[in-house]
Amino acid sequence: MTFLHLTFYSTFTLSSLGLAFHRTHLISALLCLESMMLSMYIALSMWPIQTQTTSSTLMPILMLAFSACEAGTGLAILVASSRTHGSDLLHNLNLLQC
Amino acid sequence: MNPQAKLISSLSLLLGTTLTISSNHWMMAWTGLEINTLAILPLISKSHHPRAIEASTKYFLTQATASTLLLFSSTTNAWFTGQWDITQLTHPTSCTLLTLAISMKLGLVPFHFWFPEVLQGSSLMTNLLLATIMKFPPTTLLFMTSSSLNPTLMSTLAIASAALGGWMGLNQTQIRKTLAFSSIAHLGWMTIILIYYPKLTLLTFYIYSLTTAAIFFTLNNINTLKLSTMMTAWTKTPSLAAMLMLVLLSLAGLPPLTGFLPKWMIIQELIKQELTTMATIITLLSLLGLFFYLRLAYCATITLPPNSVNYMKQWQINKPINMLTTTLTTLSIMLLPLSPMILSIP
Repeated sequence: MTFLHLTFYSTFTLSSLGLAFHRTHLISALLCLESMMLSMYIALSMWPIQTQTTSSTLMPILMLAFSACEAGTGLAILVASSRTHGSDLLHNLNLLQC
Repeated sequence: MNPQAKLISSLSLLLGTTLTISSNHWMMAWTGLEINTLAILPLISKSHHPRAIEASTKYFLTQATASTLLLFSSTTNAWFTGQWDITQLTHPTSCTLLTLAISMKLGLVPFHFWFPEVLQGSSLMTNLLLATIMKFPPTTLLFMTSSSLNPTLMSTLAIASAALGGWMGLNQTQIRKTLAFSSIAHLGWMTIILIYYPKLTLLTFYIYSLTTAAIFFTLNNINTLKLSTMMTAWTKTPSLAAMLMLVLLSLAGLPPLTGFLPKWMIIQELIKQELTTMATIITLLSLLGLFFYLRLAYCATITLPPNSVNYMKQWQINKPINMLTTTLTTLSIMLLPLSPMILSIP
């Protein structure tokens, strides 16, 4: 496994662990999601460089477009939860327990 | 909700589903799943109630994580095998990661914790979309990669889902959470047969969607969300309440109703594959589901709680029943004699 692969795997794994173990704020989960998407973008950008196929340059652009939409949606949900629950503290998201 | 926004959301749902189920490349499959996630979020959060916003938050986080994990698994497979074809996912790490990502999308145990809460926080029609259409693309992806998935992992997920779906549904009084756990149990049945006979996974999914659609439309007509309010359904639409019992028993998988067909075929195929123990375990676990389906049927149909007046049906309130509801109800009860034809379709 080359250094590039190791970097990509470890970045993705660390970000996903950060997403899984977010404790206090919703925004830290959104940030970890964004860094997962960023590491995916780097990985997909390496693909046309290493395989010399320029037609697969579309993939990182497509992924970036959808990850931007997702980031916007996540922020909209953050704002909505601030309006209904008062803050983005995850401790307050307990209405659906019962 | 704004009609144009509703139109765009529903069309995007159809687009995302069609994109994923007809794709050959992993990027297209991921794109379809993302479009589906983005399209259903306004439908979950349209009422702006705090519970709905909380449900949409939980739904968004889990589905986004699962989509990214899916893309990661396909990227690692592409690095090892050099291609992006969905049916050619062969690297073992990628297969395991894909299974985990799709089980997070579907709501298989141990990634099921979001599912009852999201169903509880959204309306009944949105629940129908979440339980049927949103599960169709990930099931299709499992169907397409079924030959290279790990049998032990799939069997563990399946039996755990059937067990937890049955046990956790026993203590519920909210109907939406009960139906969420019934969905998890049915997903267990769908995944246990995936490696051996993938066509039965799709068959189980279709019959499950049919029966669940009938139940959600009926509940929407009665306009009930709890067990206590379901008890007054008999005064308003007695025939629909009577049919609701049969549809619930069909969902439980009792012969001679339609819901028996997938269970029968799955047990038969598992025995042919020398997995009799697994067939016995999963059949016994579906007895737990039978208990809470019977409780729902008991509250809706079998008991007649005292009404405010002495005669049975309230003639003043006459809400017409949708033709779609009756069609789905009839289909979900009467289709077992047509099983040779049904088995030859997908």
